[in-house]
Amino acid sequence: MNDHLKLHPDSGDDAEITRGLRSLYAAPGDDGYWRGLEARILSRLTSAPSIAWWDELDRWMRPALAAAAVMLLAAGVAMFRAHQAQEIVTYEAMLTPTALPVETAVRPVLQEQREATFRYLMTPR
Amino acid sequence: MTAAISLSPQFQRPVRADEANGTSERDYVIAAQKGSDAAFAALVRLHQRRAYAVARAIVLSHEDAEDAVQDGFLHAYRALDRFRPDQPFGAWLNRIVANAALDLVRRRKVRDADELPETVALPFRDPGESDELRRRLSDALTNLSDRQRSVIVLHDVEGYTHGEIGSMLGIPEGTARSDLHHARAALRRLLKNLRSNT
Repeated sequence: MNDHLKLHPDSGDDAEITRGLRSLYAAPGDDGYWRGLEARILSRLTSAPSIAWWDELDRWMRPALAAAAVMLLAAGVAMFRAHQAQEIVTYEAMLTPTALPVETAVRPVLQEQREATFRYLMTPR
Repeated sequence: MTAAISLSPQFQRPVRADEANGTSERDYVIAAQKGSDAAFAALVRLHQRRAYAVARAIVLSHEDAEDAVQDGFLHAYRALDRFRPDQPFGAWLNRIVANAALDLVRRRKVRDADELPETVALPFRDPGESDELRRRLSDALTNLSDRQRSVIVLHDVEGYTHGEIGSMLGIPEGTARSDLHHARAALRRLLKNLRSNT
């Protein structure tokens, strides 16, 4: 035994424990038992159905479902974030004052109306 | 009758083959890969005891160990075409059996979540062994985690190194070393005064 972490290398307790463990976990010593187990193993090999393509497919089912779930989750998170970003942009656009003063923005319209009225009045009839 | 013919480089454990007809383990593996059931039967005969010991260290009962061994050999049979004959067959098989045993433990846990065993099952009793030691040891083992119990049994009973145990259980060597240390410490604590009582 070469356990470097052994706390009490000379302690008889470890030897006692090891002896106990060996007794508890002793494999059957009877040759008949092993012949029987061998027969059961071989019988299982011959009786077990071979792996068909649907079995192979079945083996991939769980990882495929897990991958699909992860992809759905990622897509959901991405959509949520995009929606959130759009909301923030809209909100900030609402709060940000417009670059042009209102007067400047409406003046061209008013001027045009005044000029149109003036032209109407000055037009000889 | 069997004889040691070589030492596997990784596990330094004798690879055995039939002495009577001079067939090596590698020959059996190659023949089994070509479809010879008789060759695979020979491999079962050569490795079932060690496979049982590995499984027994991981599961709680003799019956579960038998199931794990059978599952392991079935998986190995089906995966045989992926095995490279230049590798040690026993090490490859034991990893498969260990995985089958771990899988069985997981399934048992799910199934028997409400029925925790009170003691580790002891199917084979040595009449010469102290009943008190056995009883207390089996009680103490239930206080260890599954992994700690497997590690100490694989190390102390089967003689595997930390690296081999780590490879079989899918854990780093350092973890196996640490598990062994903690398992020993726990058993020492739980079996205090064992010698004076037995």
